[in-house]
Amino acid sequence: MDPLASQPVLAASWRTYVADRVAVVDCDVHQIVRDFDQLLPYLPRYYREQVADQGFLIPSSGYFSAPKRASRTDLAGDDAGENYDGRHIGWDFDLLVREHLDAWKIDQVLLTGGSVYNASILPDADYAAALCRAFNDWTIEHWTARDPRLKAAMAVSTGDPNLAVREIDRIAARSDVVAVLLPSGARVPYGSRCYHSIYEACQRHRLAVCIHPGAEATGMAGSPTGVGYPTYYLETRMARSQMAMAHCASLICEGVFERFPSLSFAFLEMDQFWVPGFLWKMDADWKSLRQQTPWLKQLPSETFRKHIRIGSQPMVEPEAPNQLEELWGAMHAEETLIYCSDWPHFDWDDPAMAYQRVPEKMRLSVFSDNARILLGLPMAERLETKC
Amino acid sequence: MLKREVVAKTHEIPPGGRKLITPWKGLAGIGIFNIDGQFYALRNLCPHRLGPLCVGQVSRRVVADEPLRDAHEALPFEPEGEVIRCPWHLWEFDIRTGQCLVDPRVHVKTYPVQIEGDTIIVECEQI
Repeated sequence: MDPLASQPVLAASWRTYVADRVAVVDCDVHQIVRDFDQLLPYLPRYYREQVADQGFLIPSSGYFSAPKRASRTDLAGDDAGENYDGRHIGWDFDLLVREHLDAWKIDQVLLTGGSVYNASILPDADYAAALCRAFNDWTIEHWTARDPRLKAAMAVSTGDPNLAVREIDRIAARSDVVAVLLPSGARVPYGSRCYHSIYEACQRHRLAVCIHPGAEATGMAGSPTGVGYPTYYLETRMARSQMAMAHCASLICEGVFERFPSLSFAFLEMDQFWVPGFLWKMDADWKSLRQQTPWLKQLPSETFRKHIRIGSQPMVEPEAPNQLEELWGAMHAEETLIYCSDWPHFDWDDPAMAYQRVPEKMRLSVFSDNARILLGLPMAERLETKC
Repeated sequence: MLKREVVAKTHEIPPGGRKLITPWKGLAGIGIFNIDGQFYALRNLCPHRLGPLCVGQVSRRVVADEPLRDAHEALPFEPEGEVIRCPWHLWEFDIRTGQCLVDPRVHVKTYPVQIEGDTIIVECEQI
């Protein structure tokens, strides 16, 4: 296929924008396990024998997703998607390098996993930890070790926080491991004290904690909404904002950032439209209810701006274009927003479209600096080549 | 131009007690509080949403240096410094200073209180 077929319209404008030489960091790129048997070499024999006849029991969404494995079919068929061949392009390392990193001149990528990080809510915490460890080793060997632009958000199991800490201590010193990935589905919200030993390890190793949709309504996780189980995938997508708000309020109320003052969280693919209302509402209610969480010494919005980052994908599509700038003003996007593509999914945001919408004064922050600070990547490197 | 408003006899407002007066018709009035024998006067008008601040709950400020580590820890009250919580939205104010405890930019107006013999007098604006 013509390598430019994947960006037929926007490629031209992207060449213009790349003249800004912003070294783009993409904080949501998926590396998909083609066949879970690929993880077998990384599992202890005890689990290899169990999964051989009983399957991997890896939780996934309990809902039908978008067609064609929710991936871009323009890259998966022989004929621009007409003859979709059943592949998930997220399996394909070479395709990622050619059609995403090279084509769009992406400087750094945060790999946010296949579905294995959902093991976090498996009932068997020992197996969950073994799966996460296997997935991390597979990711390092088959992805990050093959291209220095790739960095991993490692999977950990929250089922037994001690095992999560052990896994963090095992690989966090690697320069290609820069974050921990947790699914939005959880037994209790992520501010809870039961997770704090994991956060202590993350702070010690300077790992960001990323939360991405996943595992809701599966395993031991609760319903995606506060009112029970919806019927359709569209409803679960609308529930992401609820889950993000619940986790955010929990992180702030439980004093996670008082206890771990250099820890940062990122909410990836959890929407952004909710942020201004959340900040306004939580500040107002905190003033009324300060007495219940007296360890909070500043407004919730101030804590949020210091410690929580929001992925730009899926891009908001407001009724009028100027409303986008108003939204970003209200959520302090110059500090809080980080560019995410969500490669290789159908609803991805290509860099050119996103770049054009972000106001000029925010572009360096949103497409590079905010993520570099979050993930501890080297700062302020501009691309050397002009296009 | 200030006027001297006679509030009450001291025995009418025992420690922990309060009295509301309305020196100006149709306006919010003033709350006079007895905190351990000292008298303080605040405008009965919350700067937040203009609620009747001085009829709110009087309590102490709850403090914590860090998040609780286990359920057996009890949240401590500060040893002194009564606060009043506005019945509308529960913003807290230090009764002695009028300082709002949840927004450093906000104060409620305070008035000088004088004790002459057994009479409590508040100095307030002439309207």
